[in-house]
Order: sequence, then C-alpha cells, then structure tokens
Amino acid sequence: MPKYAMVVDQRRCVACMACVVACKKENEVPPGQFRTRVVELVEGEFPRLRMELRSELCNHCDNPPCVYNCPTGASYKAADGMVLLKKHRCVGCKACVASCPYDARYINEEKGFADKCTFCSQRIAEGKQPACVATCIGKSRIFGDLDDPASAVSAALRDNHHEVLLASAGTKPRVFYIKKFGTPE
Amino acid sequence: MEITVTGANALVSPHLHVWDWRVSLYLFLGGLSAGLAVMTSVLHVRKGGALATGERAASTAGLLVPLILSVGMLFIFLDLERKLNVFWFYLTVQPLSPMSWGSWGLLVFYPVSVFYALAAFPAERRQQLRLPVLIRISERLSAYRLQLAAANFGMGIFIGVYTGVLLSSFVARPLWNSAILPVLFLTSALSAGAAFMIMIADQKKVKLFFTKVDIWLILAEMVLLPLFFYGQYTSSGAHRNSILPFFTLNHEYFWYGLGLLFLVVIFPIAVVLKFLEVREDHGDELTGQELMRMNLSAVMVLLGGLVIRLSFVYAGQLSRLS
Amino acid sequence: MKFSRRTFLKASGAAGCSLAAYAALPEKFLLWAEEQGMLKASYVPTFCEICFWKCGAMAKVLNGRVVKLEGNPAHPGARGKLCARGNGGAGLLYDPNRLKTPLIRTGARGEQKYRKATWDEALDLIASKLKRIKAESGPESVALFTHGTPTDHFLPLLFAYGSPNVGMPSFAQCRGPRDVGLELTFGEGIGSPERVDLTRSKVLVLFGSHLGENMHNSQVQDFADALAAGSKLIVVDPRFSIAAGKAHSWLPIRPATDLALMLAWIHVIIKEQLYDKAYLDSYATGFAELAEAVSDCTPEWAAKETDLSAESIVETARLLGHNAPNVCIHPGRHATWYGDDVQRSRAIGILAALLGSWGREGGYFLATRSSLPKLEGKPFPEPVKAPLNLGNFPFAGAEGVTQEIRRATLTGEPYPIKGWIVTGTNLMKAMPNQKETVEAINKLDLLVVVDVMPTDTAMMADVILPECTYLERHDALAVGKGRSLSISLRQPALQPLYDSKPGWWIAKQIANRLDLGDYFPWQTLEEKIQAQCALWGVNYQELKKVGTITIPDSANPYITADAPAEFKTGSGKIELYSKELKEKGFDPVPRYTRHPGPRPGEFRLVYGRSPVHTFSRTANNPELHELYPENEVWINSGKAKELGVKNGEYVVLVNQDGVRSNRIKAKVTQRIRTDCVYVVHGFGAASKGLSRAFAKGADDQGMITRYAVDPICGSTGMHVNFVRVEKEGVHA
Repeated sequence: MPKYAMVVDQRRCVACMACVVACKKENEVPPGQFRTRVVELVEGEFPRLRMELRSELCNHCDNPPCVYNCPTGASYKAADGMVLLKKHRCVGCKACVASCPYDARYINEEKGFADKCTFCSQRIAEGKQPACVATCIGKSRIFGDLDDPASAVSAALRDNHHEVLLASAGTKPRVFYIKKFGTPE
Repeated sequence: MEITVTGANALVSPHLHVWDWRVSLYLFLGGLSAGLAVMTSVLHVRKGGALATGERAASTAGLLVPLILSVGMLFIFLDLERKLNVFWFYLTVQPLSPMSWGSWGLLVFYPVSVFYALAAFPAERRQQLRLPVLIRISERLSAYRLQLAAANFGMGIFIGVYTGVLLSSFVARPLWNSAILPVLFLTSALSAGAAFMIMIADQKKVKLFFTKVDIWLILAEMVLLPLFFYGQYTSSGAHRNSILPFFTLNHEYFWYGLGLLFLVVIFPIAVVLKFLEVREDHGDELTGQELMRMNLSAVMVLLGGLVIRLSFVYAGQLSRLS
Repeated sequence: MKFSRRTFLKASGAAGCSLAAYAALPEKFLLWAEEQGMLKASYVPTFCEICFWKCGAMAKVLNGRVVKLEGNPAHPGARGKLCARGNGGAGLLYDPNRLKTPLIRTGARGEQKYRKATWDEALDLIASKLKRIKAESGPESVALFTHGTPTDHFLPLLFAYGSPNVGMPSFAQCRGPRDVGLELTFGEGIGSPERVDLTRSKVLVLFGSHLGENMHNSQVQDFADALAAGSKLIVVDPRFSIAAGKAHSWLPIRPATDLALMLAWIHVIIKEQLYDKAYLDSYATGFAELAEAVSDCTPEWAAKETDLSAESIVETARLLGHNAPNVCIHPGRHATWYGDDVQRSRAIGILAALLGSWGREGGYFLATRSSLPKLEGKPFPEPVKAPLNLGNFPFAGAEGVTQEIRRATLTGEPYPIKGWIVTGTNLMKAMPNQKETVEAINKLDLLVVVDVMPTDTAMMADVILPECTYLERHDALAVGKGRSLSISLRQPALQPLYDSKPGWWIAKQIANRLDLGDYFPWQTLEEKIQAQCALWGVNYQELKKVGTITIPDSANPYITADAPAEFKTGSGKIELYSKELKEKGFDPVPRYTRHPGPRPGEFRLVYGRSPVHTFSRTANNPELHELYPENEVWINSGKAKELGVKNGEYVVLVNQDGVRSNRIKAKVTQRIRTDCVYVVHGFGAASKGLSRAFAKGADDQGMITRYAVDPICGSTGMHVNFVRVEKEGVHA
C-alpha cells in the first residue's frame, strides 16, 4: 500500500494560482469556495523585505483531528494515508471544520457536506498526479509515495530541510514544506 | 507582516465561523436540562423523599427535563447542513468523537429522564398524567425510582460534561482546548438546574434548599472561571491570545468584554442575594417581594449560563493555533 | 454560402458529435455515472486563447460540456501545464454575459443601447457600409485593429478589401520598442515566446518584468527551474514583486531611470574589462564609440539618477561580468514605458553583446532556421494610397501604429479613415488617452467589433458580432518558432453556444458580401487547415489527436566555432553603435535623458499584471474574477499614513489632467517606493453588460491621458502619468 504525501518546494512557488483554479475545476468546487489557497507573506520595511509564498491544502494528517471528531464516520483515514470523506454519511455538523488547525475544510455550499482536498484520489486511481501538482507551473508541488525511495517526494525530503505546518499541534501532516535552499550559496 | 491569501474560504476566513447562537442555545439548554435532571434526582432522594413531599416541582421538574432537552436538540438540528443524514449518528460509534458519544448519550438520557419523571411522579398526583397508559407505567416504575434516580443523576452529569467536551476536544481552537471547560460547563449546568428548580418550586423549604445548593455551585463557578483564564494565560502563545477578546476593550471585541464584565458582576450579586435569602428570617409563606428577589437571582444565574455559552462559542472561533 | 448546421457539425469533429448522444441524460446522473467510472470523458486537444502564449490545452469534455482544461504535454509552451487563466478558460465559455447574437446600435454611441439582429441583417449592413466607404473614400479608409487569432481571418479580409491600414496594440502599446531595439542591434528580435535561455542562466536580470505575476507558462516554468538551480536573480523594479521576493538582489529603482542603470553597468563592464573580448571582436562593431559614449556614465552618476547606491550598481555589474556569458537580461514584453524605449531595449542588447550572451548558453538561444512554405492564395490588390498606419516613424513595425490610425481618423490627414473593424482587442483599455479614442470613434461611419464579450469597445460599436470562444472554433494553425518548429491545431471542443460564430466564418461571410469570396476559397476553415497540413507534410488526423506536432530540428541553438553567427544588420555584425539610427537622426548609442518626475503630492502611475488576469479580457471570467475581483492601488505605507489612507480602504486616483478614477481599494504596503503607485491593468469596466467586472476597480488606462511617443518606432510610453490619491468622497 503506497503512503501518499505532498512536498511543497516554496523556493519554486511564484504564487501564480494555477493550482487554485485547476483544483476547483477538477473537483467541481462551488463558486467562492476553495480546497487550496496561496498565502503570500511579506515582512520587513522598505527596502529590506522578505517574502514567503506558501500554498496550503489539507495536510492529510496521520493524526487527523477531523477524523477523530467526525461523529458519523464520514471522515476517514484511508489505508494509503489520504484523509477522505464518505459524502453520503456527512450530516454537516461542522465539527471537522472546527477541529482542523489548518482550516482546510469547508462546507460545500451546493451540497452541504464538509468538503476538502482529496489529493485528487480520482486522478490517482487513474495513475495521474493531483490536478494542482500536474498544473503547477513552478513544479513547486511534488506528489508521490513516501514508501518508494525513488519517488519524487522521497528524493525531495531526503535532499532538503523540510518542515510541516503547526508541528506542535501533533497532527503529523503528510504535506511537507521546503523553505530554504538545499545547498548553501 | 503583510499577508495576502488567495483562495480563502469565507467559512474560515478571517476566522472560523461555523457555529452561531443555535449551537450556543443548544449547549445552554442541554446543560440546563442536565442540571435540572441532577436537581430532580436530588429533590426526590434528599431526606428520604421528604423534601419532595407536597412539592409541585416534584411532578413538573422531571417532565421538564426531556422537554427542555428537546428544544435544545431542535436548535442543534437546525444547525446541521444535511439534516436528512442525521440517522447516521446512530449507525456508528466513533469513540474519539465527543459528538458521537454525546448523541448516543442523549439517546440514553431521553428514556431515562422520561422514565424517571414518571417513576418519581408523586402517587397522589398521578391523575394529572391523564393518559391511563402513563399512569400505569408510572405506577410500575415507581418501584425502581431509586435506581432510576441514580441513572438520571449520572446521565445529567454526563450530558453536563458532554456540552463542554464537545468544544474542548478541538486542538485547533485554543480557547476551547482546555480540560477546565467541561468542568466549568458542568458547574454552570448544575447551577442553572438549581436556579431553575428554585423558580419552579412552590414550597419555601425546597426553594431555600436549592438556594443553598446554588450558592455552592456559583462559588465553584467563581473559582473555575478565573482558573480557566489563568490556565489559558499561562499556557502557549495561542492559548494566551485566545482569551484576548475578553480583555481587549475595543470596538471589535466589545461584546466579549461586556459578557465577561456581566459575569464578573452578576455572580457575586447572585451569591450575596442568595446568601441573604438563606439567612433571612422568613415567615411561613414567602412574601411577594421575597419571591421576586429569589426569582431575580435565579434569572441572573440562568442568564450567566447563557452568556457563558454564547461568549465561549463565539470567542472560541476567533482563536487559532497559528 | 449559407452556413448550415450540418456542415458545422462535420467541422466540429468527432468528439462533439459522439458526445451529443449523451446530451439527453440528466446531468446529475451523468456526473454520478462518471464518478462510478461508467462514463469516460473525452479529451479534445486545442490551444489556449486566454493570453497569447498559445499553450497547447486538452479540453476535457463530458456530456457536451467542457468540464476542465489541462495542459498538453506535447506542446512546448505548455509542457502539460496551464496557468490559472488557462485552467479557467471554460469560465469564458460559460460566462452568461457572453455576446449571444449580433447586435445593432439603436442609441447614441456609448449609450450602450442595442437591438438583436440576425446574422444576415448584421452582415448585410456591414457590407453595404463597407461598399459605400470604398466607393466614396477608397478602401484605404477602413482600418483594422486586431490581436490574437482573429487576425488570421480579418487581416486577409482587410488586405483583400484593399486597405493596408492595420493597427495591432501588441506593437505600439506593448512589445514594439523591444523588438525594434533588438532588431537594430542584432538584426532580429527575441520572438514570442522569447528565446531566453533561463534554465541555463547563472544570472538572470528582470527590468520591471514581474515573472510569476506576469504569467507566461513555459517561461515561468523555466524561471522556477532557474531559481531552483540556484541562478542568481537581479530584479530592478520600484515594487517588491513576487520575482523581487525571489531575488538575490532587488534594486528598487526610481521609475524612469532604468537606462541610467544600464549605462552605468555598461560603463563598469567596459572599465573593468568584464566583457567578452573574443566575442566582440568576432561579432560586434562600434565598441570604441560605445566606450566613449558611456565614459561619463559612472556608478556615482547613476546612483544619483536611480536612487540606488553606487556600490550596489558596481556589485551587480560585476556579478553580470563574472558570470558572462551565461547571463540573461530579460528584454521584457510590455516595453512601452517612457518614450525612449527603443533605446532602453538597445541598451539591453548592448549589455547582452558585451557579456557575449546573445546566442550563448544561459543567455539567448537562436531560433530554428527551419521554416514552412506559405499556402499560396489569390494575391491581394495593391493599395492605391500609401499606408498611414506607420506614421512618420522610420522603424515602425508591420503590426502598425494604432494611434496613427486614430490620429488620421480624428484629423482626416493624410487621408480620412471612415471605418474601423476591431477584433480580439479592447481598444478602450489598450490605447492611451481614451478621450481621443472616443472622439475618433465618433467621427466614424462604421465601427464593427467582433468579440466574445461585451467589452467597453464593443459598447461603442455600430454593429457587434458575437464570435464564439476558442473552445468552439477552428483557427489557423499556430506555428511556434523556438528551438524547433511546432505546429498546433485549434479545434472545437463543442459547437458554438447561442448564435455565436467562429471568426473565420464571419470574415468569410463579410468577404462573400463584398464579392471578395475568392480570397476565402474553402468552405470551412478545416479544409484550409487540411490543405496546409498536406503542404507541410503533417498528418492531419494525427494532429487532431495530439494537438501539437513538433518538427525535429538538428540546428544548434547556440553560437559555436562550427556554427558562427550571422546578423542581419546593415553591417552584418552586432551594432553596438547603430549607423542606421545615426542616419535617421537618432542617438547611435543610447543616451540617458532625465524624465519629469512626480510633483509634491503626486505619484507616478505604474501598472502591471496579475497572474490570474489577461489585460481586461478576463476581468469578467467568473472563475478568475473570484480570485482577483478588482484591482488595488499599491501605496507605500509611509505615504499612506501621511494621507490618512488605511489598508483596504477605497480611494480615488486623480491624474495630472484632473481625470478621476473609479473607486479603488488601497493596498497599503512596504512593497513599493514612495514616488509611485501601482495598479494591475484591465479593471474598471464601463460596459454594463459585464455584470461582474462593471465598475470594479479603477481603469489605469483612463488615468493614462498622456503618452510619450517613441520617435524611433511610434510606440506610446505610458508610465508617464502622475496621480494624486484621494480618499473616497473628497472632491478636489
């Protein structure tokens, strides 16, 4: 069983939003709602400024509070590590939305269930990459199997310092961020 | 720091707002019914049942428990986005989800509270039940009234705790993520139950008894509330920030500051009022003025409970880990 | 020829037909069926038209609906990826505000009052007016403004009609001066897509160009690859752009002084002998004159002009020199800034030559030398009158100088212009000084606008013809000329919605009515495409399946000892000193002139791009609108504080001529200098038909009442306007 994960190489992100739109189209996300977003952070004072670009999505946590807090078993952790939703079971109680430290969930305005990123499981089943990864202009998003040492994610994590978001929340995310250059200048 | 987010969902941006007054009311009414259940059990068991003798509340309080609970559940039902799927609550057990074991708990609480209400229904008033079926059940169940009283008491505590655990289990919301919260909510629920009992009781002895009970419960709340804020303040940065709305007197957080100020003012006043009521030399019958004072202090306690639920539900959604 | 549904069905290809069978089934069921894997979507290869990079795209069609667009892996500009706009292409297709039927104006011009018309009625009206203009004033009195693929249909129509007067804003309002400057230096332009060898660059320089925000698919892919490979990035921009955020060195230059920085770099590189002597000896001419001309352009002098430190100028110059020739100074794209833009482009060319990076790895690679034969048609008639679309500019390009046509329309000199046909461009948002444009339009006998959306320009037209979107039509084959030749097909993913028609059909219909049908001798465009494929030896059926065919090329993209370079300049060499310019009375070596700056209380208005929008054409696209619904004016935090303007607050811009903008949100930021403000171009639509974009944000073009014409090529520098920032509701 593969162990799916994503690596976001922030050095390569140019905040072009291609991922945001591709995700919406692939997954029929209603107008005004999103499964992934791009955060632009700038600190400092003119002209000494620093920028961080960070695309965010569901972290498919190994310790997922949304799954723990789901009263009906609609949210579940699949064997391959993806945190998914059985739509027909969802009552729309919003406990998962409240429990996610990454604000990765939303209530689908058209259908009422607590939607989220699925790593495009339907595409993975077809042997494709998630839509955001496939269209990522900067090749900033990398997807693959952590158990496969030859996969792009394994290689990226081996070669680079990486972090997860809100590690202290204890959620053990499956989305990893590479912030700094792997090799010194 | 300049932050620009593209692709944020309105539901979580700029802060979470999934739950509103409906959930607050549910938590309050759920707590009230739980507290009332506990107090009803106390009423019937205390002094070998002597306290309940001739008391109007001995018959009404028990019946009000499932009624208030139903009103509360109506509000949580209104909050569900996919109401038709509600049956899924009872096709699964999710041991880590407070909402799951809470809904199972409610499933137990309902019949227990109804059965207990019937079992404890004073024999001399059974005719008020009207329906022969109910009268018969009441007669049969009265043999188990002690066991049912214990069950009712236990379930009351359980539901009282549950209304707090429901919020405190979210690591993502630091204001809620405190073990004191369920205890605070339970205490508040019990206190509200006692206050409600004072209002519906018609006998002086019962009113004064629950006034004494309530004094202790309010005092407990007055310990727990500062303890809660102290705990948050001395915890991580996110926890510390989470209580800011209550202590920042500006336009944005006006209602939170006001809410806390309200609690800080009414709890001591309620305690003093109740203390005076207990100490006062009452005649055989309570005068109209005395009754009004008692009801006033009871309403203050109920309002306090509601303000706690409202402010915690809303403020918790302002808090975040990052 | 009558257009029948049957012929179009044939033309629209197998995909459309087979899917039509499903159309009767309810959509919910179909979506469910697809989820269960019972229904397979089909993929129709085509290429994108949301911007002009022409990325190969695969339209995912389900139940006759385009549900998604993906990049075509076979296309060199897409490489399997699409940007946000390309991904949102179906938002244009399904925009309920689309032009649905031909419209004929009923109110006064600009009143936006129209009535529906049939195609026959609209086309007959256009034909009769065109005939009358031809008879009364001659065919040269009709001009065409065009951009993108409609050009392939309407330019032949214009030429067949007998007019040479075409104006493409892509020249005088965009890339013109860049290309002219490089042509004067190297004998050729940089092309589009630009032949910048980013992935191999050791140092990459961006002047104002904000790659990332300025999204051109494969180029930004290369940009990210270059960053990841550790190439050093120098960004010269008054604004801390996304690219600046990635930079090794961000030079927050005073606007309008870029040329001073470039000349100082040239000065340092020559003085410290960091140039590629062997390369210059072999390929360049005019070094001595250049050295002489820049002798006083010291870093200290430039520091004063540019508001940068002399040290940073020297340091960056050395960085360039030490990494030569693997240095790429991006020549930019939208280069019409200050009116001396050809010379700035020349300076970039000179730097490229000094560093030996033209035709070298990590610099600029050479285009393939292969070419494809032209499909011969009936020769166009020679115009009687000389073209007026080149003005008096000795180096104006064949794309024409738009504002010269406008000027002639206004003045009647050298001869009157009576009719405009506008296709694929929103002139009101593309050309500076809207007042002049409106006045010119008011002098016309006929304004026809062919577009997909009711743009501001369409709302000025006498007749509006609804073109179907790129996802519903054939267009001419797109030939990409990069390292090798690539041929891409645009084919419909579905039949045109509403009563819209493909551009080729519209052009052919007008031609037929003007008795010019001989110039459009095929029944459908697909026939012509097939003929072209046959001529080029391309398998059309294969092309339909894969979308893009690349013709393998053995030529070397770099200058090597075996393959020395040829330069198509007068001297046959790289002209550091341009005799051509000298002969026409211009500076043979770029010379810096100081441009006026903002007066106290004013800011220079600088505009640029958002990665989710293409000019004004996507502002109403629901899928892109929601990501950036209105533009913001970037204003320095300190200045905002002085003005009492808070972040997110609506303000109004007032330019030097008293023109007030629509209200616009202030983005109060540290990310911009104090002497300029920045907006994303293309907002503040005036057309009420654009329900989302109407009056959202401010129209930068409305503020651009002044423009500095480059005397060399006629391009309009548009970064020469100054605005005050006023709080909303305050009137001056």
